[in-house]
Amino acid sequence: MDPGADAFAPPTTGWTPVSPRLATARRLTLVLAYALVVAGGVVLVFSPLPRGWIAAYAVAAVVVFAWAWWIIGRRVRSFGYAERDDDLLVVSGILVRRLVIVPYGRMQMVDLHAGPLDRSLGIATVQLHTAAATTDATIPGLLPAEAAALRDRLAARGEDRTAGL
Amino acid sequence: MTLPRRTSPLSPLVQAAPALPAAALFLIGPGTGIVARSGVPLVLAVIVAALLAYAAFVVVAWLSWWRRTFWIDQDGDLRTDSGVLQRSARRLQLSRLQSVDVVAPFLARLAGLVEVRVEVAGAADSRIVLRYLTRADAEDLRGHVLALARSESLSEGAEPAPLAQVPPGRLLVGLLLRSVTAALLLATVVLIVVTALTQGPAGIALVVVTGGLPILSVATEFLANYDFRVARVAEGLRIRRGLLSTQSRTIPPDRVHAVSIVSPLLWRRRDWVRVTVTIAGVQGDEVRPDVLIPVAPRSEALALIAEVLPDVDVDALAFTSAPQRARWRSPLTWGALACAVTPQVIATRSGRITRRTSLAPHARVQSVRVTQGAWERRLGLASLHADVAPGPVEVVGRHLDEADVARLAHAEVESMRRARAS
Repeated sequence: MDPGADAFAPPTTGWTPVSPRLATARRLTLVLAYALVVAGGVVLVFSPLPRGWIAAYAVAAVVVFAWAWWIIGRRVRSFGYAERDDDLLVVSGILVRRLVIVPYGRMQMVDLHAGPLDRSLGIATVQLHTAAATTDATIPGLLPAEAAALRDRLAARGEDRTAGL
Repeated sequence: MTLPRRTSPLSPLVQAAPALPAAALFLIGPGTGIVARSGVPLVLAVIVAALLAYAAFVVVAWLSWWRRTFWIDQDGDLRTDSGVLQRSARRLQLSRLQSVDVVAPFLARLAGLVEVRVEVAGAADSRIVLRYLTRADAEDLRGHVLALARSESLSEGAEPAPLAQVPPGRLLVGLLLRSVTAALLLATVVLIVVTALTQGPAGIALVVVTGGLPILSVATEFLANYDFRVARVAEGLRIRRGLLSTQSRTIPPDRVHAVSIVSPLLWRRRDWVRVTVTIAGVQGDEVRPDVLIPVAPRSEALALIAEVLPDVDVDALAFTSAPQRARWRSPLTWGALACAVTPQVIATRSGRITRRTSLAPHARVQSVRVTQGAWERRLGLASLHADVAPGPVEVVGRHLDEADVARLAHAEVESMRRARAS
């Protein structure tokens, strides 16, 4: 990161993006959540409400769905990480942009987890923990091999750095 | 090494005390009807019910007292065996000792007893609480434990002369003049006047809330922080406080992760501040100290901070302030927002009515975060967060110029690396 420039500017190595499969996973979750919305719609159709209200509900549901579908794609593309010599950088977010810088020596634990949906799509999440609860360094949507390799690299670097204390 | 022994035999009598309010609740609830039907005089019924409930509680407490022993074994570990039906054993390795506290809760104190809490470094539940011992036994055990932890020097003999003390008058005035408290009290007075003038009853319900809450909070804080004394001991700073139950805790300087200097509007004419600290330690530990001094003249407070954060000159921090356009994001406080990265610490400032200056030494900062909301982005602003261990202190430089944030974040990461290397 070049001092004086944009705080979110990529480091010299550039951001490593996450897999677009993360977007698939999140869109699947969105579709599942929409099962409830559709069920609500069905109830409305059989209710004595005026037709106009039901139409408004349907339009709102479709608009929100389309917007969420689109924003998921952008949000997944906004994720990136970079391993520098002494620290890990994670960037994310569109509306609220976030950059987390975690020195390897401060890492207490590296978590790798993948839920059933993640596993069926072949992605995993790597999460870094420090002594601060507010450290929010989570990299979702990594390919399992990449995730395992990243975890091992981070754990090894963490040990090197803390050993020097 | 000591032989297994029990806590003071008076303990069950103290521990059974909650029976009395329980009996009272029973009488208020279903009991009155039963008493009325039985024809027994009410006073007699009350006494009998209270005694029966108390006796029942004493028996239960006595059983657990009987089955609980503690001792120091030949390896120098503090151990307890407890449990009436299901036995459990606990063992604390005293070489990892973090603190030994002697606390005197109100009821126990009436019986001349105290509670001893021994805590070691480790996972969630790494402590033993002994309820209750006589004061002499407690001091004896504490001496023993400290000797085994090879730090008997840390508070042997007489209490060292305090570095700072809070007189009750100052504490009370300070608590009353805290921003939220003062605002609520003022609202109460206004409400009472308005209600009296309009002769309407509606205000009374509100008065109970606006008046009751601050009075309650002032009373609790006053009792908890009464006779607040800070003294220097070999291990760090020792804090003693409390009226109904005295508490004493030690703050080792190397466990201080962040410090915050708070000055409410109405304190500033007197130049008073409050200092809160984040101490790294076991999570969910309710006796972890978070107040270094509840109310003190600024110079006195800064001297205390110098004890835990040496080499930091709080008055000479070179702050980078938020630009004027930050007023569109934060119209009230933008003028107070600032951040500084010095060779020792990262410091942030915030708040207009209640001013806060928070500091964290680079070696204790866990990670650096930059966030930028949509509105901040439009204005070319960003916020810089220094993540520290969970506690009362938050180190955030909000709504600063984007380029300043980039520069400060870079400087902070560099400083963290250097702090770690040394």
